[in-house]
Amino acid sequence: MPLVIYVEADGARHEVDVPLGENVMRGAVNNGVEGIVGECGGGLACATCHCYVDAAWADKVGGPSSDDERDMLESAAAEVRPTSRLSCQIAITPELDGLVVELPERQY
Amino acid sequence: MATAPIVIPENDPKNPVPFPLPRLAGMDNVPPHVPKELIRSTGLPFSPEFNENPYEFFPRMHETLPPIYYDVGPMQNAWQLIKHEDAFFALRHGEYFSSASSTPFPRDPKDYFYFLPIEIDPPAHRKYRAIVDPLVNPQAVLKWEERIRTLSNQLIDAVIEKGECEFTEDFARPLPVCVFLDLMGLPQDMRDQFVTWVVQLLKNMDPAKMIGVMKEIGDYLNTAIAEKRRNPDEGMISRIVHAAPNGEPLSEKEIFGFVFFVFIAGIDTVYATLNNIWYWLARNPERRHEMIGDPGNINAQVEELLRVFSVTFSGRILKQDLELRGVKMKAGDRITSVLPACNYDPEVFPNPREVDFHRPRKPILAFAGGVHSCMGAHLARLEIKIGLQEWLRRIPDFQVKPGVDVKYVPSAVVGPEPLPLVW
Ligand code: HEM
Ligand code: FES
Repeated sequence: MPLVIYVEADGARHEVDVPLGENVMRGAVNNGVEGIVGECGGGLACATCHCYVDAAWADKVGGPSSDDERDMLESAAAEVRPTSRLSCQIAITPELDGLVVELPERQY
Repeated sequence: MATAPIVIPENDPKNPVPFPLPRLAGMDNVPPHVPKELIRSTGLPFSPEFNENPYEFFPRMHETLPPIYYDVGPMQNAWQLIKHEDAFFALRHGEYFSSASSTPFPRDPKDYFYFLPIEIDPPAHRKYRAIVDPLVNPQAVLKWEERIRTLSNQLIDAVIEKGECEFTEDFARPLPVCVFLDLMGLPQDMRDQFVTWVVQLLKNMDPAKMIGVMKEIGDYLNTAIAEKRRNPDEGMISRIVHAAPNGEPLSEKEIFGFVFFVFIAGIDTVYATLNNIWYWLARNPERRHEMIGDPGNINAQVEELLRVFSVTFSGRILKQDLELRGVKMKAGDRITSVLPACNYDPEVFPNPREVDFHRPRKPILAFAGGVHSCMGAHLARLEIKIGLQEWLRRIPDFQVKPGVDVKYVPSAVVGPEPLPLVW
């Protein structure tokens, strides 16, 4: 299972093995990582799963995967940066083993 | 004079007790801390004035009412929130806003149970959603796509040659009932019975009659629960029955209140939404053709239609005193987020009355928000989407039966019925 490292705004790190086919939002929610809320369950309807992809991973992960994600990011509560993504839209693949994402201070 | 502090009990799912505070109703029951100038009687959602034209009433609320006011009505008095921001605040702050007592369905005080997960506050709430969410998340519902398409086509097959139908009975109601039965793992031959129960329970304003229907439905669900206990399957009832969060199985009452609530939540919401949308489509041929001509934009079309045709409300009770936009509210006060009005908040959706299939995507409140965000939202979106695709493919041109005056019926879920259509 690919490893995802979640770094909370206060610096706390969570290393979580997330099954293939899951997404970065669910990896957090199912493992008690509180910096991601994901209240719509991954439907691009809430913008409470905002994360910043670590600079070293930004190219591999890429930018928003759809116009809907780009629009919805604008409703995120914390500052939106060039590496911002909605984590429910990042599918876990073997290439993302070791992925580091930073979590914003707030999700709403 | 200092009022005695009001303690809102944490609902303990293992020990269900009737909610201790009465529902205040009427002008004689306005608490003294409510300023006179904030008192209104909007008539929402049961008055004839509201039901005259609900989807003009909702946007107009932003033009005629303060953002927060105290609504006095014959069924209950409550603060009402109509701003998108305020409703999200209420839905996302369980430390202030409890959903205990948020469902008005009568229960036997001697054999009380909670409707789950809606009546339980966080953090206990999470464990129930964790049981069912894997069956209804956006990926999981995709497996229902072909099935819903087949069901939709069967319903259309039954009426297409006739050139007319009563949309509620022939499509909008049976579709979500069939999907519900599949999802729960119940047999399709219960369809007509469930349709009857939905109508008897949810379109009925008489609590005395409700109790009898609830017992009948409850008896059936209990039999189904017992059967799933013996013969586990992939359906939601079985999953709830056999769940053991942290090694502890749910109690009989938890299982019952959970299964019962999915029934209450997942059927008339969908059919009211379908009725609203089809009523609009029937009167707007050019918009119908716009949709048909842009099939790749179906998801945005569904989202926009859900925005303008949201059907229900979210009730909470304040656990601690709170000041919002300068309005001082007190522990024990009831709060209603008028979700359909919030979706017309001009600050979030400019030109809110316009149905615009190319709006930038923003969080809508049709399915509420916060921890109690609708569990079935993705399934409902899929039902609406496939219903639209199949109907518009096969019956692109239709209208309301001439001479019929379509009416909204007073209900906590807003929708017109009956809806006779011809093509
Ligand atoms: C268009 C159709 C639907 C609409 C408009 C709708 C609306 C809502 C709303 C507004 C809430 C939140 C209530 C509150 O916070 O007080 C809710 C919760 C809920 N809905 Fe839906 N719903 C729909 C379809 C469904 C379906 C199809 C199902 C099940 C199959 C379902 C199951 C639930 C459940 C179980 C909850 C409670 C969630 C919780 O407390 O965590 N809904 N729905
Ligand atoms: S979980 Fe709601 S947008 Fe990602």
